[in-house]
Order: sequence, then C-alpha cells, then structure tokens
Amino acid sequence: MSDDRRVRDAQMRATINQKLVETGERERLKELLRTRLIECGWRDQLKAHCKEVVRQKGLEHVTVDDLVSEITPKGRALVPDTVKKELLQRIRTFLSQQSNI
Amino acid sequence: MDVIMLDSSESSNSRGSRGEDLLEDDEEEEIKRTLNSVMDELVDDVVLGLCFETHRSCKLGTLFLDETDIESENLYRIVDQVGLDVFGQLPQKKQLECICPNCSRNLAASRFAPHLEKCMGMGRNSSRIASRRILANTGKQENVASDNDSEDNKDDNDWSYAVDRKSKKSRKDRSGNSPRRGKISKLKNGDGAIGQHDTKMGSSHTTEASGQIFHLYDSMTLDEKKSILIQQCGVISEHTKKMCTRSHRCPQHSDEQRRMVRMYLLGSQHGGLLDVDEVQVDIDGYEDGDSQSLRESLQWEAASNPSPADSTSTTHSTGSRKRKKGKGGKKKGAIARSSPSSMYEFNIH
Repeated sequence: MSDDRRVRDAQMRATINQKLVETGERERLKELLRTRLIECGWRDQLKAHCKEVVRQKGLEHVTVDDLVSEITPKGRALVPDTVKKELLQRIRTFLSQQSNI
Repeated sequence: MDVIMLDSSESSNSRGSRGEDLLEDDEEEEIKRTLNSVMDELVDDVVLGLCFETHRSCKLGTLFLDETDIESENLYRIVDQVGLDVFGQLPQKKQLECICPNCSRNLAASRFAPHLEKCMGMGRNSSRIASRRILANTGKQENVASDNDSEDNKDDNDWSYAVDRKSKKSRKDRSGNSPRRGKISKLKNGDGAIGQHDTKMGSSHTTEASGQIFHLYDSMTLDEKKSILIQQCGVISEHTKKMCTRSHRCPQHSDEQRRMVRMYLLGSQHGGLLDVDEVQVDIDGYEDGDSQSLRESLQWEAASNPSPADSTSTTHSTGSRKRKKGKGGKKKGAIARSSPSSMYEFNIH
C-alpha cells in the first residue's frame, strides 16, 4: 500500500514537473518565488547565515556542497507561510487550467 | 493522467458525496503533499542559486566587502527618531545667505546667482563692470597708498579723457543691463513720502557730519573719487563711515543723497586744490573735466530711467509697462527739475 502510494506519488510529481517545465510555468514560478523571498527579507536572512557558515569553514575551504547542505534546511524553514500559500495556489490554478485544455 | 485525476477529485469534492469523504480527504492530503514537494523543489532551486552566488563571491573575495567595523557603523548609523533627521540633527532652517567667493560680500541666496553673473563676469557686459568694480574697491581700500596708474592718469589728460569715454560707454551698457535692479529701484521710489523724509534727514546729517566723514576720503585723488563715484552709489554711511558700494540705483539711498556726496567729495577737493594750489593740475582742464563728469552722470541718470522699461517691455505685459512708463515719466521730470540747480550749485564751487 505504502509502496504503491510512493510510486504513485513519484509518478504524479514527475508528471506535474513535466507539465511545469514544458509550459515554462516553472521558470515563471521560480521567478515569482525569488522576488517574493527577496521582498520578505528571506534572502538577507539566508545570506547572513551563509556568511556565518563561510566564517566557520574558512574562506578558502568552503564548497558549494557545504553551503547547500547547511543552508537548504534553514532556507525551507524560513519561507513565510504567505509565500507558500501563494505559490501553492498558483500551482493549483495552473494544473486545473492544464487539465481543462 | 494524474492531472486529470486531480481535477476529477476537485470536481467530486464539490459534489460532496458523503461516502467518499474519507477517500477524498486521503487524496487531498496526497495532492497537498505532492504540491508541497514540488514547491520545496522550487525553494531548493532558489536556495541553490543563492549558494552558488555566495560561493562565487566567496571565492572572488567580495563576500565581506559590504561589512564595516563596528566603530564606523555606530558613527554613521541612520537615526530613526521622531523630530530628527537621518543624521540625528534637529531640523533647523539653513541660513539662506552665501558669501560671494569673488568679492566676499554676504548675499541672500536668491540674489546670489544674478550677483555672481555680474561679479564673476559671465554675463554680457558684466566682466568689464566687474573688473571696474574690483579696481574701484581696491582703490578705496588702498586709498592712502594710491597706485602709480592713477597718478599717471592724473598727469595725462588725454588718457583720462579716454578713460572717461570708456566709462561712459560702460555706464550706458549697464543701464540696460539689469532690468531687475531697475524694477527694485522703481518699487522703492514708489513709497515717496518716507523716502523723501529719509533724504532730508540724511542730507542734514551729512552736512553736520560731513567734516568728520569726508576728510577720510581727502587722501584719495580726484580721479579715484571720480572713478568710484561713477560706478557706485557712494553715499557715505554715518555708522560705518564707508561708501555704499552698490550701483547708482541702489534703493537704500536717494538720488539727492548721492548728489550731496558727489558735491562734497568733488567740490571739497576742488576747493582744497585751489587752496593748496597744486602745480600739476591745469585748472581750466580740470574744471572742464569736472563739469563734464557731472554732465555725464546726469546724462546717465536721465538715460537710465527709460531703459529698464525698454528692456522689460519684451517680458512684461502691457499693463505693467504702462505703469512703469508713468512712473518713469514722473522720475524723469523730477530729475529734469533737479539737474539744472545742481549744475548751478556745482558751477558756483
């Protein structure tokens, strides 16, 4: 049951992603998300965190992987609920439009 | 396929059949999770972009460029308080005066640009006027140590005549030069009663105090005095004992005051010269030059009156021109009346 669900989940996600990429909606959504996150100060917060990480690791030794692994959880957590809601709403409307065509 | 399924689930949701509620909730939950994961991917993309950017600036050494030390941060902190500006100062009215870098006079800011035009010599005729004024000012300051040039001029009659002609020309130019100044003087002339009262007071005072004040200017040569009086109002203040350095049409002093000063300065010099009987001055030529200069100055005064109206006529409406003409006519009449008497008085000297 859970296996089945997981497969279905993955399938569904792949389909949605495909649709988003094909229509170019994904880029648009990403741009929207980026502006929203800059507007709400998320980017500055995260950048400050990045600097801390760089200071800890040392300017010369820091890698992109270090940064990604350190930053991503915090980045996800810091996204404001309003931005999340807006983004979800956009994806939903996009999907319903797609299925109507 | 899944998309269609999703749509159908939404539509069935609206229908709301009770038996499928559990299943629908389950599906709704699933969709939410899927969408969340899609969104997380998007967020991750943005985070990845930020990580790349940070890493790049890190390797280029530009990551910490915008950071400053705490001291300067405290020093230049932006103040956010009611009643203060961003520098933490009380908003106060700035003094609207500036000092001319050329002649170091204190001027209202609104008059600064027109003054600078004349003083620095950016305008049409202003450079000649300005240099003349500067020369006059320095002549006034160094009146004791009169420079060699003026003495040369005194000896050479032709040369001084040429200078006079030049100055006459420049005066004519100047009369048409500044319509604004003309307007101001007109305005001041409008309140006649007070002005005349002042004039009488001033003239009586000057007669009393003349002995004290004018001897200060005795050391100047006649040419120097003349050149100063040609360019400036020249009325001597009772408080500062200095000459007014504004133009002939300066609104603070009246024509009568100016005439008095000219009479005293040029006239007393005349008398003094006769007493001392200096050899170098030819008296006939001297008298000629004097009356000539007076005539010139009167000519100039007469000519100056219509000229502002002319120069402003292009810019102003006909109504204002009419008014100006009326005033100008009045003024001209007054001068015409006054000029022969002054000439007469002067000739008596």
